[in-house]
Amino acid sequence: MTVSTTSTVPVPPGLAIAPPLPDLLLPVKVRRGVMGFLRNHPTVAIGGGLLLCLVLVGIFAPYLWTVDPTALAPARRTRAPSALYWFGTDMLGRDLYSRVLYGARVSLTVGLSVAALASLAGLAIGLVSGFVRWADGIVMRFMDGLMSIPPILLAVALMALTRGSVGNVILAITVAEIPRVSRLVRSVVLSLREQPYVDAATASGTRTPMIILRHILPNTLAPMLVQATYICASAMIVESILSFIGAGTPPTIPSWGNIMAEGRALWQVKPYIVFFPAAFLSVTVLAVNLLGDGLRDALDPRMAKGL
Amino acid sequence: MLSYILRRVLSTVPVMAIVALFVFSLLYIAPGDPAAVIAGDQASPADVERIRQGLGLDRPFLVQFGSWLWHILHGDLGTSIFTNLPVSALIAQRIEPTLSLMVLTLGLAIVIAVPLGVVAAWKAGSWVDHTIMAFAVLAFSFPVFVVGYVLAYVFALGLEWLPVQGYTPLAEGIWPWLQNLILPAVALGCVDVALIARITRASMLEVLQQDYIRTARAKGLDRRSILFVHALKNAAVPIVTVIGIGVALLIGGAVVTESVFAIPGLGRLTIDAILRRDYPVIQGIVLLFSFLYVLVNLVVDVIYTLVDPRIRY
Repeated sequence: MTVSTTSTVPVPPGLAIAPPLPDLLLPVKVRRGVMGFLRNHPTVAIGGGLLLCLVLVGIFAPYLWTVDPTALAPARRTRAPSALYWFGTDMLGRDLYSRVLYGARVSLTVGLSVAALASLAGLAIGLVSGFVRWADGIVMRFMDGLMSIPPILLAVALMALTRGSVGNVILAITVAEIPRVSRLVRSVVLSLREQPYVDAATASGTRTPMIILRHILPNTLAPMLVQATYICASAMIVESILSFIGAGTPPTIPSWGNIMAEGRALWQVKPYIVFFPAAFLSVTVLAVNLLGDGLRDALDPRMAKGL
Repeated sequence: MLSYILRRVLSTVPVMAIVALFVFSLLYIAPGDPAAVIAGDQASPADVERIRQGLGLDRPFLVQFGSWLWHILHGDLGTSIFTNLPVSALIAQRIEPTLSLMVLTLGLAIVIAVPLGVVAAWKAGSWVDHTIMAFAVLAFSFPVFVVGYVLAYVFALGLEWLPVQGYTPLAEGIWPWLQNLILPAVALGCVDVALIARITRASMLEVLQQDYIRTARAKGLDRRSILFVHALKNAAVPIVTVIGIGVALLIGGAVVTESVFAIPGLGRLTIDAILRRDYPVIQGIVLLFSFLYVLVNLVVDVIYTLVDPRIRY
């Protein structure tokens, strides 16, 4: 941006010409593109990068020098970590390195599926209760009730009534997470409805479904995305807790919670059985939380100052 | 004031009714045949039928719900399938350790988190602030049993300062009781400390920018009274709210913490009930904790009006 101070029009006498504007008013350097965004928001880059690595580890687990994670070998029980067994072996002789790497699949599948399902369901419920006045009271009282049940206990109760499987774990955690998302979407919808551009759209004859699609939905996406990352993190923790207390994925599937549950009896003498899955779980949750914090700061600069 | 509190108390009734209805209908909306799942794979058809009758699944939904609710209102939470003891008696046996753990944890979390948040807001942008906030993100990401195992490994097995596991009733003295609860409370409290510290900082940052804080500073008031008397009081509403949310996290985390530290509380009862598929016990515990949580929210709302007299619903 340049400000021209030379004028071709003859200056009338007595009229001073303003001095050139200082550089202060010039826009700051704007970084563009994906790389620019990541450089502006390093937490997104760190969290996203870590998460991507873990997803790749999960997908390519069979090719990362692993063996069958369920292969029993009673002859080599509870070996300490060594060059042969990188993370050691558990009390049934199974290779912990392989089990922990395959465990990434369960945690990430549960985390990402719950985030997606709970967001979709919460979006639908939130939109309905934000727009349909008579449904709002009923739906929100119901959500109040559901929210009063601590999420882990709700998931435990659901799991006690169904057979343990990854699908049922996802379903149980999703049910427990829906109220929070629908509350968030509803509050966003209620504030968006009062915006002048929505009034303008209504006045110019736009139908409600079109208003929702064009004006409301795009504005709910940013807070939803941030919320979805937090749901993903919390779902992974809840999954490991469920597995740890025996109400989660069946023991035949190596999940981090299951490995820790099996190592629980021996943890005072063989702490590495609990340590490795615990470390992986913590790093994964940390990565997702960093991603969420970074996205929140990036998508809503007003929040960045506060939290 | 009194009429507000009374109205607020009455408004918990419908919420509790919905909680009860929901917890009850889980039996009916769960996919598959819950009676068969509860009975297990080795059960005979007669066993399944016996459990179906025990749970009342053979009767119409509304009839069963009515009689179930009637019993609950009279303090009867049903009978355990496995031990044949009343669920309320089982819960009464186990409630002391869990309540001790939760109260101690919440107290500890508030005492640690609020000053941390205040200091972080006061020193906003400095290395103190960054350290506290980095700790908050870490504490939020480490699951409670991970923290629990690390603490037990370092302070109980390694340094031998505190017992590794177990529980001593309060009746046997404060110190033995406290000794067993310190590590579990710290492990369980980490998440709450992170949560409360973050909100305290955010809320304080907003308040500290207001004019009356500048006035107080200009008057020459010392920093401590500005921060903890003038500012904190006005920053209190979000903090009280998040402490209420923190209780929900505590309830879930207590189940796991008790299993890491072998504390014979409600968490242990829950896990045993899960292993035996003793659904009435699980149902009773879920109901109890949900009602507890509704009560906590009620208390939080009443505290609002004490902290900020402008709030009226």
